[in-house]
Amino acid sequence: MSQQQPNPQTYTTGYTTGGATTDTATIDANARTVHYKCGDCDQDVPLKRGEPIRCRNCGHRVLYKQRTNRMVQFEAR
Amino acid sequence: MAPPSAEELTRRKKLEVSPEIVSNQASTDLPGHWPGENHEWDLDYFKDNFNVQFHTHSPHDATFSLTGIDTSVSNAFRRILLAEIPTLAIEDVFIYNNTSIIQDEVLAHRLGLVPLAGSRDGLRWLKWYKKPSDDDEGSGTPSDYNTIILRLEVECKWQEGGLARAVAGETDPDKLYINHNIYARDLVWHPLGKQHDMFPAGQEIRPCNPDILLVKMRPGQKIMLSMHAVKGIGQDHAKFSPVATASYRLLPTIDILKPITSADAKKFARCFPRGVIRLDTVSAEDVANDPQLEGQEGEPKAVVDDPMKDTVSRECLRHPEFKDKVKLGRVRDHFIFKVESTGQWESDELFLESVKLLKVKCQRIKRGLDEMIR
Repeated sequence: MSQQQPNPQTYTTGYTTGGATTDTATIDANARTVHYKCGDCDQDVPLKRGEPIRCRNCGHRVLYKQRTNRMVQFEAR
Repeated sequence: MAPPSAEELTRRKKLEVSPEIVSNQASTDLPGHWPGENHEWDLDYFKDNFNVQFHTHSPHDATFSLTGIDTSVSNAFRRILLAEIPTLAIEDVFIYNNTSIIQDEVLAHRLGLVPLAGSRDGLRWLKWYKKPSDDDEGSGTPSDYNTIILRLEVECKWQEGGLARAVAGETDPDKLYINHNIYARDLVWHPLGKQHDMFPAGQEIRPCNPDILLVKMRPGQKIMLSMHAVKGIGQDHAKFSPVATASYRLLPTIDILKPITSADAKKFARCFPRGVIRLDTVSAEDVANDPQLEGQEGEPKAVVDDPMKDTVSRECLRHPEFKDKVKLGRVRDHFIFKVESTGQWESDELFLESVKLLKVKCQRIKRGLDEMIR
């Protein structure tokens, strides 16, 4: 099944195989949300897989990934 | 052979400081150096000659003189003060979150250098922490008797209405943000087990200087970390050194060989730091005693007031008018110690501790020698 014109509601990440986009990348309802920071307004942007990479507050398209919350050990030397 | 005169003994003890060279540096009070004299080390002789005198004595800054002691021993004290007296310092930093602009490793290093204070008895009670090693399973376990846990959890935020003020052009961080400066006082100690009793209220583990600036932050930045502080010695890392500096200098001497009077006397006094040279008036008695002062009664005369304040800059040796009139030197067995504590221990305590440690080292050598002979 292929779409020549993607539905405006379901956004695809736009990777194409032979000129046709697949819909495997449409929004997955039970995917894990990842929090990003907007590069313009510093708002927290929760995103799921397949969602448009865009700030909900200001529409900026540059988002930053948050620092890992895994513990890092350093020697104070 | 006749014993050396008192002048000869003081001459032997004096280093000569000339414009370009320092001579007579090496001590000669050793057995076999002077024919017919016995310079064997003797406890009673040492007891009679050794002397300690305090000049300034504040908790974190002490100046005192040791006289009648060999350089090797006083230098040993200095080196022990710098590198072998144990203190507590942050060793491991566990960073959960750090979005400030200071990199994790730099922040960890800064934290390590913060001097910590706490109950002296508690610090003595603390045992050494051994790093975990591969060949010894279960080694390096932190416990209440060898590890102190501290935490730093801070977040910078906008003040109420701060954002509006920033838009209006306000740039003073104190009027815009909360927690934009993180100081050493923000480190929070989390006592474990027996540490509650060993470090009672008022003597808890805390930074000696609460105003050390650790990080500067801006709204949205956050630091969450915990630290393990352990006991260590300066040999391992400078952060464990209990002193900011511990040094000694030899007592300077200034011998005025020929009288320096009138305008020369004022110039001579200016060659030294204030308080080293005093200007006296030439009295009738001085003139009667010294033919060189003929007709100079009432003129100012340079007299050494306090050679301890001298820096031995040798400025007076540069001027031809003082040639052969003055001799600079230092007393070889008069050590003016200056011990500046970082705050964990008191300066005088630290010196006593260094004496104790040297004693322990000597006993260890003695035991080793006994083993060898057996």
